[in-house]
Amino acid sequence: MKLFTKMTIALAASALALPGMSVAAQAAASPIALVGDVKAEKVITAPDGTERTELVAPTAIIPGDRLIFATAYAHGGDEAVNNFVVTNPLPAAVRLAPDADPALEVSVDGGKSWGVLAALTISGSDGAARPAAHADVTHVRWVLASIAPGAKGRLTYPAIIR
Amino acid sequence: MICGAAAITGLVFSAPALAGGVTAGTLIENTAVASYDDGAGARTINSNTVTVRVDELLDVTLTSQDPGPINTRPGDAVLTFELTNQGNGPEAFTLLANPAVAGNDFDVVVRSIAIDSNGNGVYDAGVDEILTAPQTTAILAPDTVLTVFVLVTVPDGASDRQTSSVDLTAEAVTGSGAPGTVFAGAGVDGGDAIVGTTGALATARGQLVVGVANVELVKSVVLRDPFGGTSAVPGTVATFTILARISGSGTINDLLVTDAIPDGTTYVPGTLALDSAALSDAEDGDAGAASDAAGITVNLGDVTADATASVTFDVVID
Repeated sequence: MKLFTKMTIALAASALALPGMSVAAQAAASPIALVGDVKAEKVITAPDGTERTELVAPTAIIPGDRLIFATAYAHGGDEAVNNFVVTNPLPAAVRLAPDADPALEVSVDGGKSWGVLAALTISGSDGAARPAAHADVTHVRWVLASIAPGAKGRLTYPAIIR
Repeated sequence: MICGAAAITGLVFSAPALAGGVTAGTLIENTAVASYDDGAGARTINSNTVTVRVDELLDVTLTSQDPGPINTRPGDAVLTFELTNQGNGPEAFTLLANPAVAGNDFDVVVRSIAIDSNGNGVYDAGVDEILTAPQTTAILAPDTVLTVFVLVTVPDGASDRQTSSVDLTAEAVTGSGAPGTVFAGAGVDGGDAIVGTTGALATARGQLVVGVANVELVKSVVLRDPFGGTSAVPGTVATFTILARISGSGTINDLLVTDAIPDGTTYVPGTLALDSAALSDAEDGDAGAASDAAGITVNLGDVTADATASVTFDVVID
């Protein structure tokens, strides 16, 4: 019931304005649609005491809670696209969850350099380099060499509210 | 790369490092960007932005700041506590002092609860704010630490070495309960307020121990007549000893021992002594003064039990 006060989905012009666009604009319109969403992971305790994790709309969110940010892509065009890279800056108020896919490509320097987290270092407060941690991640990205017409997928990363 | 290193050092997360985490009301906004090559060149599109508002976490801690039981006598005493808003939003807390704790030898009367307005850690009457019922703090920003005083009166019937405890409770005004309890719409900017691990309720115990000291004075006299005997005749020197015994526990403040010079005798100048150390007759820097007219006075000051002090002086029989 608090969904609207909790979560504002402001559809970007690229997704929302398509039907009303002029012919010229449509020629420039993207064949790829990107739609983001966010869910909260909540542990639900059943009457028999067993616990299970559910993805729910993010109401009543406090520091320490887990969020799953997702970006769905869909290729609506009729020709394959190449070098498809989805980059997602992490909001400052969250950190990458420790159980994020270790193969996920991340950046700890604002998107300048990339790699898997285990291969990255960051300069600490004393100036010396130290291994980068999940909390240091500033961006995540997914690189797909090519996507075919009609292909779609969903890219997610787990985050914990600082 | 030098320029790259410089850019890295400039990269700072804006999320504040609060005990309770990100401040309530913070909007978490997530947008993904895709770039690709569709044959006609490189293109970039943004996803929609999803926004989650961080709700208010209700958490509080309370601790006694007294290093141990407060030593006190019947009368007024002050217990000191420290309250911390461990939540992530601005919150006020209701304070309740309970003097009737199981195991108490006696119960104190709680006169009031005060806030350390000048922040010096010590209760200052007339300076520190006395809370009126219902005793509630101002709205405290996250991580604010507040010193709270509970002003109590120890009843006259309390006797030496008896102890008493006072429990102070702080409860978030928005509400308290089991961790995870949600107060819908009660948080910052109309968001929810959620009870944290502390239950948004904290209790701390302050303790008092009574120290009542008693003073007992025992006066004795030794006579020395001019003939080497102990008869009381003109010219006999009488040495008076006043033994002050301070027993029990605690401290006697400003203990003053006085005695008159008996009629028919004359004070022997220069004979006043405290614990065998001579005191001058004049009213001056030392603890004693003596004269025929005013008698003897010895100021023992603050004396902590157990202790004894011996005052001696000579008179001669006229």
